[in-house]
Amino acid sequence: MLELLSLTPILKGLIVLTVAGLTFPITGVYLFRLNLLPLRFMLMHGAILGGAMALALQINPFWTTIVVNLLLVLFMVKTSRSMKIDAGQISTFFMVISISLAFIFIYKFNVPAKDTLTLLWGNLFTLSWTEVIGIGSFAVVLAGFQYHFRRQLRALFFDREIAFTSGINESRLYYAVVFLVAITVALAMKLIGALLLDALLLLPPVIASFRARSLKGMIFGSAIWGGVFAIGGFILSVAIDIPASSSIAALASLAFIIIYFFRNK
Amino acid sequence: MEHSLIVNLNDQTVFTSDQHWLYPLFELEDYIKQSEIGVNDLFLKDKIAGKAAACLIVFLGIKRCHIELLSERAIPVFRANGIEFTYDNLVDHIQCRTEDLITDKMSIADAYLFLRKRAGRVQGLSVKMENVTVRIEEKLVIDRLNLDMGRGEQLIIHGANGAGKTTFLRAVLGFLPLTEGAIKIGDYLVGSELWKQNRSIIGYVHQENIKNNFPISAGEVVQIGLGKSRISKNEAEYQVEVAMRRTSSFHLFNQPYHTLSGGEKQRVSLARCLCQNARVFLMDEPTAFLDQRGKEDLLLLLHELSRNEAPTMVLVSHELQWIEQLNWPRRELKGGKLC
Repeated sequence: MLELLSLTPILKGLIVLTVAGLTFPITGVYLFRLNLLPLRFMLMHGAILGGAMALALQINPFWTTIVVNLLLVLFMVKTSRSMKIDAGQISTFFMVISISLAFIFIYKFNVPAKDTLTLLWGNLFTLSWTEVIGIGSFAVVLAGFQYHFRRQLRALFFDREIAFTSGINESRLYYAVVFLVAITVALAMKLIGALLLDALLLLPPVIASFRARSLKGMIFGSAIWGGVFAIGGFILSVAIDIPASSSIAALASLAFIIIYFFRNK
Repeated sequence: MEHSLIVNLNDQTVFTSDQHWLYPLFELEDYIKQSEIGVNDLFLKDKIAGKAAACLIVFLGIKRCHIELLSERAIPVFRANGIEFTYDNLVDHIQCRTEDLITDKMSIADAYLFLRKRAGRVQGLSVKMENVTVRIEEKLVIDRLNLDMGRGEQLIIHGANGAGKTTFLRAVLGFLPLTEGAIKIGDYLVGSELWKQNRSIIGYVHQENIKNNFPISAGEVVQIGLGKSRISKNEAEYQVEVAMRRTSSFHLFNQPYHTLSGGEKQRVSLARCLCQNARVFLMDEPTAFLDQRGKEDLLLLLHELSRNEAPTMVLVSHELQWIEQLNWPRRELKGGKLC
């Protein structure tokens, strides 16, 4: 297997997956704690829209999905603030409109079905060095954000009103979290696709929450499980020749069942 | 310069003060706390002492004193508490309004708290509400409400369900926009830029959300009180420990918050407010979800807080029996007004 690492696409894939596995689950903790699951759906569909647009217009899908997701978040924040509508409701609206636009692009521009499917299960081995550096830099920003704002984030996740009365600008922090989630979802789409990104984002925090007694434990637990699934899934994928996204999702699901079973024992 | 107060230990002067009124005695209190000196062997020499000073001397635990000019009103206080005292001159009373304000009904502890507030040595800030009106979706909930609380005072607001008690607290916290009127906490106008930068002066203990099972330890909850202050890890840990010890909850430091009992959660929440250095405590139905023991614990803790840090405290509750035991001033919120 080691000789496969001499192939640049495989090496890049392993590096990126390891970095993403260790850091992206942090945003999974954010998603759970701030009850942003409707937002995640919107972002997943937004990423599909970005991917469809890129395929249709033959532009870089990596950056397009990021831009589309950021724009969606920006629209959502503006609309939710100005119209005083619940962010969950407005996310649902944008989710529906995104997927409908995505299919319009796919249909009107005759995007090949095979290319469209890469949006659903990712394309880990086609990363350019610029994209590798982009993902690596974002991972550093995400980890730095978590470390720097750990106290404020803890307050925000515990109770927004308490955070407010403690002097924390919880509103600004909330939107910073939403933007980071938007970028993470867009990047994870590239790595393991829309359908399987929960294996990297959500399952690690869910498993970590079984034993975590503090936010610190939850973050570290999520990062460790994310890293284990990413590296383990990659090795499995190379060993038995299946898509990396599927092997990561299968491994994470298996781990979830085993840990859940032993937890209740 | 002659000192207004001299304190000796075994014929050696250990403390002097040149302040006036009751401040030398409050300075002595600080000195005793800092030096952890035993008070039984201290001998205190004061220029003038009336009933107020006598109460303070007793509260500090001083056993022997000499007063140059003593008010007759101080003598019963000294005698009732077994203080050995001598004096140079005795007068009917001294020209001090404070002496008239200490009534015979007051215990030494009550008198001490009263004098602390009068001396401005309390953590609390004043709370002033002028013509405050709050409408929620066109419904008038608070109607031209006025309130004037001094520093370190306490108040219970009670009323029927839906009377607007929680809205009242949320307005003070700045969560709700006022339709009319103004709220001032100390010198800060709620909603102003200055207040936004200093809003941690209000500590909020809301009704416990029993569904909140976020994995967070009790110590981490208390640390939330530090807000965005940039302090070292060691300093943060020290401040959290001090606050938790003050509310006897330090043993819960590593416990997951959601596994604590209702009473323990309230202790941790109050420690959070202390850690925040809040000067006004707002508590919304703090006895909700508490068993009898939890309610008794909370009662003791609130009494302790009002004696020591003395923040200004507003408590909203509809549990009349528990309110009776707390023995704080009460106002009923009815028709959007305080009665």
